[in-house]
Amino acid sequence: MYGGGNVFEAMKATALAEEDPQKLAEFEARIDRGEKIEPKDWMPQLYRKQLIRMIEQHAHSEIIGALPEGTWITRAPGFKRKLALMAKVQDEVGHAQLLYSAAETLGKSREQMIDDLITGKSKYSNIFNYPAFTWADSCFISWLVDAGAIVNQVANSKGSYGPYCRALERICAEESFHLKYGHHCVIHLATGTKKQREMMQAAVNRWWAPMMHFFGPSDKISVHSEILMRWKVKMASNDECRQQFLDMYVPKIWELGLTVPDENLKKNQETGQWEFTEPDWEEFKRVINGDGPCNKERLAVRRTAEERGRWVREALLAPKAKYVTPLA
Amino acid sequence: MSMTLKSLDPRVDRLGIPEEWASPMAPKESLDQFETYEAFVQMKENKPFEHVGPVHAPNEEMAFLFAKEQYSRRGMFCHALCVIKTENIQTTGFTDNNISIYDSIESMPSGDESESFEVFHLLKRGKQHKYVGNVNAKDFEDALAVAKQNYPSEKPVFNVWVARSEHILTSDDEDRDIWETLKEKQYREAIDYRAQDKIKAFKERTSEA
Repeated sequence: MYGGGNVFEAMKATALAEEDPQKLAEFEARIDRGEKIEPKDWMPQLYRKQLIRMIEQHAHSEIIGALPEGTWITRAPGFKRKLALMAKVQDEVGHAQLLYSAAETLGKSREQMIDDLITGKSKYSNIFNYPAFTWADSCFISWLVDAGAIVNQVANSKGSYGPYCRALERICAEESFHLKYGHHCVIHLATGTKKQREMMQAAVNRWWAPMMHFFGPSDKISVHSEILMRWKVKMASNDECRQQFLDMYVPKIWELGLTVPDENLKKNQETGQWEFTEPDWEEFKRVINGDGPCNKERLAVRRTAEERGRWVREALLAPKAKYVTPLA
Repeated sequence: MSMTLKSLDPRVDRLGIPEEWASPMAPKESLDQFETYEAFVQMKENKPFEHVGPVHAPNEEMAFLFAKEQYSRRGMFCHALCVIKTENIQTTGFTDNNISIYDSIESMPSGDESESFEVFHLLKRGKQHKYVGNVNAKDFEDALAVAKQNYPSEKPVFNVWVARSEHILTSDDEDRDIWETLKEKQYREAIDYRAQDKIKAFKERTSEA
């Protein structure tokens, strides 16, 4: 699960000046024809760099996203919910593996990516820097954070890089179970006892701001280079994804008798656009830069797993193994 | 004694992670990275094996296991699966615009059939390689020449992968029940979560109140 709000590298105006103009034209013509770019094809350095960054952030988000939900496996209400949540968390970790492999075809090894996550060099989806206080938080994540991720992933699966698109198609197929499962959990609480409804409403109140941040800064303030859209690295703008999410899910939240903690939230019938209070982008920046409630814990848990799991990898390692970049 | 990290998650508390690390994580050995394997799935009997993606694993058996987990999960039909270590696959260059990569292969088969190879074609850019068949030849180059002769394609072939037959680990036909979704695992399917009745009942209840 992953939203927009990718941290793209700042681009220099001269970045393309060093590329071979003929090869660049052929590359762009291929994308215009709707063809995919494959690992062995020529590509501009900028395309390679931004894609590695984007796919890597997506992979890290799957790994880190498994933590706030994983917390609730042992405390999920009942055997069936435990089994289902365990299957979902396992899926998310599997998604990370698919994505690391896709990023790897661009020339950065999985180990390097995992190291960069632990040292804080690479980012992951900001929403996972918030804690899951109750079971209802876990239900919110399973339903609505996954729903947001699906909006983004479906868009990106139409992108230009073959291995990433293929990984996303597999991921989206599995997300449909997550979405239905999450919705089922939320419905159960929202249509339950007074106490259950209060618990669910409290979770919606807690998660709404991070959910609005999830798609990244507004297009008005986020300088997303037109070139990333033209190269089909980024397939939909942050605002487009946010609007689509609101359109699909706010009515589903309301029909359960839940409220959204934003009195300005409404659909403008003339423009067809949702209007809402501008999210606090200073808070978003502060949290993404390390000062959120769980940033430290998330990375510490990953580092601990990496360090204490070393003996497993050592036991499994074949001494003559030679690393080769995957093919496609 | 140094402070340990406090979490909402009792499992994290039990790990006793330090609040502040004394030093950055120690650098890893350069070989602390598993080899990669390419996985191929046969969706149905009589359909060709098709490349599905890579896995990282310490050996062939583990690669098979990971590939099964990764690429034959629910909703993904699987009849058989095989893995090949990435470094054991030889690839040709890529072509496009209706040019077949075989056009650039001019050598004739040597006639030496001492080794067995398996051949995979890429027929559509953006899709994945499909198995076309087996050839006997003396080496990789020779295998390509034989494949050009034995497996002519109407559509252009953009890229070819060749691997020695002995380097392929394939599932056993006798074990085919490993691909079936168990009935008691329905909780892993979207279909197991129908809830419209509940929403409808809730709406009726609240509109009466």
